[in-house]
Amino acid sequence: FMCTDYHEELNHNSSIFLSLYQALFHCDQVQYTLVPVTGWQDLGTAFLEHKEQFRYFVLINCGANVDLLEMLQPDDDSIFFICDTHRPVDVVNVYNDTQIKLLIKQDDDLGVPTYDDIFRDEDDEEGGDSGNESDEGSEPSGKRRRFDEVTGLTLMIVFERRIERQRAKREWEARRREILFDYEQYEYHGTSAAMMFFELAWVLTKDTKDMLWWAVIGLTDQWVHDKITHMKYVTDIATMQRHVSRHNHRNEDEENSLSIDCMRISFEYDLRLTLYQHWSLYESICNSCYTSCHFKLWTLNGQKKLQEFLADMGLPLKQVRQKFNSMDMSIKENLREVIEESSNKYGMKDIRIQTFGVHFGFKNRFLASDMVHATAALLESTEKDESDSDNFIKALDSLSRSNLDRLHSGIDQAKKKLIAVQQTVASCICTNLILSQGPFLYCYLMEGTPDVKLFSKPMALTLLCKYLLKAFVHSTRNKRCKLLPLIMAAPKDVEKGTVIVVGIPPESETSDKKNFFGRAFEKAAESTSSRTLHDHFDTSIIELKTEDRSKFLDALITLLS
Amino acid sequence: MDPSEVEFLAEKEMVKIIPNFSLDKVYLIGGDLGPFNPGLPVDVPVWLALNLKQRQKCRIVPPAWMDVEKLEEMRDLERKEDMFTPVPSPYYMELTKLLLNYASDNIPKADEIRTLVKDIWDTRVAKLRLSADSFISQMEAHAKLDNLTLMEINTIRAFLLDSLNCMYKLRSNMQPGSSKGQLTDY
Repeated sequence: FMCTDYHEELNHNSSIFLSLYQALFHCDQVQYTLVPVTGWQDLGTAFLEHKEQFRYFVLINCGANVDLLEMLQPDDDSIFFICDTHRPVDVVNVYNDTQIKLLIKQDDDLGVPTYDDIFRDEDDEEGGDSGNESDEGSEPSGKRRRFDEVTGLTLMIVFERRIERQRAKREWEARRREILFDYEQYEYHGTSAAMMFFELAWVLTKDTKDMLWWAVIGLTDQWVHDKITHMKYVTDIATMQRHVSRHNHRNEDEENSLSIDCMRISFEYDLRLTLYQHWSLYESICNSCYTSCHFKLWTLNGQKKLQEFLADMGLPLKQVRQKFNSMDMSIKENLREVIEESSNKYGMKDIRIQTFGVHFGFKNRFLASDMVHATAALLESTEKDESDSDNFIKALDSLSRSNLDRLHSGIDQAKKKLIAVQQTVASCICTNLILSQGPFLYCYLMEGTPDVKLFSKPMALTLLCKYLLKAFVHSTRNKRCKLLPLIMAAPKDVEKGTVIVVGIPPESETSDKKNFFGRAFEKAAESTSSRTLHDHFDTSIIELKTEDRSKFLDALITLLS
Repeated sequence: MDPSEVEFLAEKEMVKIIPNFSLDKVYLIGGDLGPFNPGLPVDVPVWLALNLKQRQKCRIVPPAWMDVEKLEEMRDLERKEDMFTPVPSPYYMELTKLLLNYASDNIPKADEIRTLVKDIWDTRVAKLRLSADSFISQMEAHAKLDNLTLMEINTIRAFLLDSLNCMYKLRSNMQPGSSKGQLTDY
């Protein structure tokens, strides 16, 4: 049996991916240490603490988009395995042969510039010049005049060649800057790390249903938090579907049916109503972004429309406000089709989405998105006396099937979070808190806003930001504003006097989800010497001193106009 | 004896597995195991089978008696007879519990098997209680019970021994000429 020491570092999002990794390690009895990190500083500290003891470092969901060797300054025999969805991958990481190993899916198009365009050997230039220079002044004066003419000529040729070379070098460097700028300008996400680990496990034939379920959750997390395009989501779902069929055929036969306690994963074409099976249908409709935005539930008119919608489907209010599990069976039977039909009439063509569900035991049924919301809520739980690492461990626990109370508490926290998000969105739109600054929209959550503590966390604030933009696009009549990106700021740390700032790309059906705010924030901070902290692995999320807010924004406006 | 001790003894029973790795013969104190070849069935003790299963290194083949029809027959026979009928395995209860907890995906119709084994157990324990009750009330001197398993004996042991001791105490005090009025304590 292998007994190597591994050290894993991960960022907030990776608990899902980690369950997969742990499962693999437990099978082979590999020793490892797990360290959750929340940002670059954490990563650096953790690395310094552990670099003496370990040689192999596995980084999950962090580290690909920065020059890692430069940042961490490791010893020569340390090897880093990086499985990160952040793109673009830093060119140094891509072209390093020895210390950095990237785990990336083959068909993920990285668009990395070719080696020669960005790296250049400096040796050949100098050699030519120095050789000729030593020839000068070493000849006796007799032949000097003629020689001088010759050397004069040679010198001129040499000089011209040197100018030529320098010009070529400057051109090359300008092109290089341009290429790198284009390459690094937009930040986006690649294939889910969980899916990649699952495929790795599959290649090693160590894949199990639990791992498959975790990979599905990883993929759904990317979709719920709007990190990948719809096309990519559908393609990846098809890949997962193949694995699910493979696992289902392996175990099930007409005669030998499986015990009810065994885990069953099934493909579902289910409703886009968040957590609806663990809530009441009514609350789920009110608090899901898709339905809330289409109905415009923050207006009186919207509420009326919702009542019409429910009446149109023949669903009595009493039933719909009950816990989903207590609804009449006759209503639950064709619910999805009934809702789909009515939704089409109200302009919601995509109320159903392809996803997967799991079911084990008699009462445990969960959709992948339920698990995503529960885990995310646990990760960013704002309860007192809980460090980020504790939250991480709790979220990790909730993914295993033996910790159902953790999962249920996660679902409850997710419900509270969703309600908070919807209420904040409603109040922002009704009080016109979203202002157009020219090249982008801007919204600031003031300190006294209810639940503002929830939004001091990056994932929660990003979710709020996305819902808010969608709601805004549905509610505004200004055509130009519909195409603008949104920047949102919320208080992060009252004592330190900082705010957290998040920027998201404009909302559109064909959006490629590429975000340019990372670089924009950096440049704006530099030009105004605002005190910022670019600690988060997603470069479009930063921390800023409250006093520097206005000059930072002004710089951004100038930069992006 | 503690039920967990009985379960520990039950884990020595052999069960067939199909490994997915290869390993040469292993020489342990209790005996030799292996060699292991992927895809070829091999007999191993239950403790090893469960460990390998949890590490996803094998598939467990249910024992021959763990079959719905056979268990149904046994259950019906048990219900008909007054005496105890022969058991499928001296550790049938423990093996069922262990295998169904850890390897239920390798055992077809696991839920029905669980119900059937529980039925058999209930019937036998009921008979045992009846028999112990009549033994004590009729003050028999000895009894013969065939086909009892260690787990069943273990469930009744504490109660039976204590009650017999009490009976003995009462009886010895009733005898004329015995040490008068002396109740010995153990």
